[in-house]
Amino acid sequence: MAVLEEPIKGVPLVKNYINGEWVESKGEIKDVVNPAKNETIGKVPISTREEIDAAVKAAHEAFPDWRRTTPVARARYLFRLKELLEENFEEVSRVQTQEHGKTIDESRGETRRGTENVEVACGIPTLQMGYNLEDIATGIDEYLIRNPLGVFGIIGPYNFPFMIPLWSAPYAVATGNCVIVKPSSEDPFSQIKIAELAEEAGFPPGVWNVVNGGRVVVTGMLEHPGIQGIAFVGSTPTAKYIYQKCGETGKRVIAQGGAKNFIVIMPDCNVNATIAGLMTSFFGNTGQRCLAGANLLIVGDDNFYKSFLDKVADAAAKIVIGYGLDESVQMGPLRDEEKKKRVLSYIEGGLQAGARLVLDGRKFEIRGDYPDTCFLGPSIFENVTLDMKIGREEIFGPVMSVLRAKDLGEAIDMVNDCDFGNGHAIFTSDGKSARRFQYEVVSGNVGINIGIVAPMAFFPFSGMKDSFFGILHTQGKEAVRFFTESKVVIQRWL
Amino acid sequence: MGGSDMRLQTASSVISFSKELEGESAKFYEALAEKFTQAKDSFLAFAKENKKYVTQVERAYYGVITDAIEGCYAFDVEPADYALETKLAEGAAYADALSQVVKMEEVIVRFYTDAAKQSEVLMADVPRAFMFIVKKRNERLAKLASL
Repeated sequence: MAVLEEPIKGVPLVKNYINGEWVESKGEIKDVVNPAKNETIGKVPISTREEIDAAVKAAHEAFPDWRRTTPVARARYLFRLKELLEENFEEVSRVQTQEHGKTIDESRGETRRGTENVEVACGIPTLQMGYNLEDIATGIDEYLIRNPLGVFGIIGPYNFPFMIPLWSAPYAVATGNCVIVKPSSEDPFSQIKIAELAEEAGFPPGVWNVVNGGRVVVTGMLEHPGIQGIAFVGSTPTAKYIYQKCGETGKRVIAQGGAKNFIVIMPDCNVNATIAGLMTSFFGNTGQRCLAGANLLIVGDDNFYKSFLDKVADAAAKIVIGYGLDESVQMGPLRDEEKKKRVLSYIEGGLQAGARLVLDGRKFEIRGDYPDTCFLGPSIFENVTLDMKIGREEIFGPVMSVLRAKDLGEAIDMVNDCDFGNGHAIFTSDGKSARRFQYEVVSGNVGINIGIVAPMAFFPFSGMKDSFFGILHTQGKEAVRFFTESKVVIQRWL
Repeated sequence: MGGSDMRLQTASSVISFSKELEGESAKFYEALAEKFTQAKDSFLAFAKENKKYVTQVERAYYGVITDAIEGCYAFDVEPADYALETKLAEGAAYADALSQVVKMEEVIVRFYTDAAKQSEVLMADVPRAFMFIVKKRNERLAKLASL
């Protein structure tokens, strides 16, 4: 099968987009590496404190006019952006594969999910409406207005370089705020492409800004008094830190952290459909997502357990590994060599702790002529217990830890013993089991016969326990609430 | 472990394969239209419809592809099972050509039917788009029988 054409040519230097201008950073320059080929495809700056300050200033200056732009007019900018995203759908998808490594099907899925948020934000004239009550007392009326706050910082992770900032940015600008997006420095091109399209859509200078970089930019956002709030997605320790810092500086915050998702298998599940769901859940995006399955918890007797696990291992062993721009590939590389080393250390740790490797992902074949630097095959451990690191900690790689429970009650207790509550799921054909699971499990997103519990744009991306710090979530109506504050007017005409 | 052979398992590869089938069969119809002018309009109309089917399938795929559905694991298609014979034998008569076209259409119908079945619960609107094409192609087979 032919490899699709790569959209990023040469080794371009990424610029910042501040106040409607593409400006070169004065910061140190870092390589952006295509992990499948282990080759440098671009250069990204680690921007300075002065550069984030300049972006905040530009956003502040743009805010009064943007706030006064009517919601209908703001929606039309978003309609144009949506149209441009559709026109450039294939290109932006290939950019993701080239800079991140995920398969082209996964990238297109990411593009669709991200674009859906722009679509939902197009409904802002309705979504931003407040409410009112006539005659709260005789001759006195009361109404609520949702006002934008000013400038927001949006900090994106490397695993979904296109989609995740779009969980927030469209709602922020639709409600009349201005944004500064900081993409992951590991794969910044997707956000650069979106900013180019936002520019083409005609957003006024300063409304949509992008500042590349790392810790200095994040700290600059957290400490800047001109930033009203932060939307962050990343690891749990960083999410906790961001949540605390925003508390100290009086900012609103959405801080989404890590996960350790359990997929509970009941003996009455539809086995064939479940297996396909599990491959996507555990090994999709090479395990690098906060909704990935991590622990496979099988309920049932020895016969069911053995036969089910054999089928899972057989399917996983057949996964085609390679460069995501080859359409036949089912799993790409890890994002970089360090991440691969981290996953390998978990595999070693699992073996040392006494778990049995049913499928050893350290031995694998790559389709095509690519270096194995960042690649790893799917691994499956059995005999995992919850006191093992591989059973408790987020590995963020293609590793399945298999555990057993005697019944659903025990399975739910095991799930709820986990520190995270992001996307637990059950596979069953019994409605009663499904309802009990949904009711009792502590998880922001719950899957029933769905391996990746990714909420659509018009639902909040929830999370509980150590997977989420904050109150309101990204996406949909909750994002509109997050990016606005309520003003209540009580009115009497004398 | 090793990668499997070149069976098509990802949605992307199956969509590309369906485009190849549509393109190849459209070209065949265009060639037949030049050779057998008595059915020129019908053959050209079929070729044009093929392009519409490509758009419909792509629209369904690009509209539903997300990480919540199993895009990388939804299919198991062996392309060789759906190879089209689109080379007309030297001196073939009109009736031979029609018979060849019917066989070609039957292969394409089989491909879409099999692909729809494989992805039935996994690919949302895509199998429905495939089955829509099956319906249209069965209508085409009836038209071919009347030519």
